[in-house]
Amino acid sequence: MSSTTTMKRVSPSKRDYGYCNARVRGMRSRLLKQAFMDGLMQAKDLGGIITSLMETEYAPELEERLLHGRSTGQIDLALKDNMVRTFRKVLSLVNDESLEVLGALLGRWDLFNIKTVIRGRHMSLSSEEITESMVAVAQLSQIDLDELSRQQSVKGVVDTLSTWKLPFAVPLRAAMPEYVESGNLAVLELALDKYYTEWAAKRLKGRGVNQRLSRRFLGTQIDTINLLTCFRLLNADLGDQDALRFFLPGGTFVTEALFRDLASMSDVDEVYDRLKRTPYGRPVEEVAVKYIESGSVSVFERALEDYLMRRAFAAGQGDPLGVGIIIAYLWMKANEVTNLRIIVKGVSVGMPTERMREELIVV
Amino acid sequence: MIDNKLARKVFGSAFVATMVVPAMAFAQAAEAEGAAATVDYRVGVAKAIAAGASMSVSALAAGYAQAKIGSAGAGTLAERPEVATNIIVLQALPEIIALLGFVIAFMIGTA
Repeated sequence: MSSTTTMKRVSPSKRDYGYCNARVRGMRSRLLKQAFMDGLMQAKDLGGIITSLMETEYAPELEERLLHGRSTGQIDLALKDNMVRTFRKVLSLVNDESLEVLGALLGRWDLFNIKTVIRGRHMSLSSEEITESMVAVAQLSQIDLDELSRQQSVKGVVDTLSTWKLPFAVPLRAAMPEYVESGNLAVLELALDKYYTEWAAKRLKGRGVNQRLSRRFLGTQIDTINLLTCFRLLNADLGDQDALRFFLPGGTFVTEALFRDLASMSDVDEVYDRLKRTPYGRPVEEVAVKYIESGSVSVFERALEDYLMRRAFAAGQGDPLGVGIIIAYLWMKANEVTNLRIIVKGVSVGMPTERMREELIVV
Repeated sequence: MIDNKLARKVFGSAFVATMVVPAMAFAQAAEAEGAAATVDYRVGVAKAIAAGASMSVSALAAGYAQAKIGSAGAGTLAERPEVATNIIVLQALPEIIALLGFVIAFMIGTA
């Protein structure tokens, strides 16, 4: 594992949030405003988008990437680079307590990266293709991810993670025999998901306000994943498989019993009835008609994503000297990059502005 | 959180400044004036202790507030240098606490 993974940093004292939160608030003030996004959507071509973005925080990364060509792909990479730089900057200036909390919450990006490498290796993609899809914003640095993507097989990836003594190697090693026997990638992914939720919940143990807030946020993330699984199971034929094997422990509202009930349902109305006493009732209700019209589970995915983003933003409206400000900023930044990527892709293929606006997550 | 060692040193110094120094000074004065001035001496010591407490506690409070504002201000300036004037004003505001402490100490001393 590269030495960059464990960042050398001069951290403020354990619970001093004054300095880091002030910096994060300063960075937050430079997030792009809705009016700017609207202007960007009106751009006629990529040139217009590049000109607008060159006046923002994204300019250094764009300058570097555009040397390789003025394409959608290069802009996409520049946006990703900026996100990585921002996350790394925040992690380098936060205090010890928030580093611990963010380590647990941002672990999902490590999880995402490891899954990407495993999927890539499973489908025999090239190292370059795999690397371009990864975002090194958590414990694993870009050098580590490059090293992982250079492995020749899934087993090679798991062995490398074991050598680095990363926690995610444990579930992968345990699930490897089943994967080798069945060739089913879902076995590894499910093992990783379950391990992550337990690992993160363990790291967020504690009685402090910040730990409670982070636990609640992690619980919301797990709930949304479980609910999405339930929606996917609505029309799926599981055969003799037990739906509970897809359940991730650690959610706030979606318990094992609720998951079992939801997974056994076949109609979206039934699901809504069961969920209406939870905070997820309203987002599900809002898109239920859209689901009936389109028949696509992606409307629920989008609704739950929006809900999660709203929770993340709400975390930043509480204690001004707490970790919520930092969590909210990181999620806002990730959301901004996602929105910009949608606009860049939309403009490059001539998507109507209204259609683009529907795709953006605006909270 | 204030570092424990630092806190002990700061509060120790404040205690010395508040209790011991005025007491020693007045003790010397009292010795010179003799036993007839015992009552005046006690009132004087109490005044000195009260004035010392007023000054030192308000100075400590101002210092604590400035430390917090200072670290947040440094963070803000690192990201947004254009708000330097506001930060300097905010940094100076807690001085009022120390000034009020001084005024009260003065009033106690002259009463």
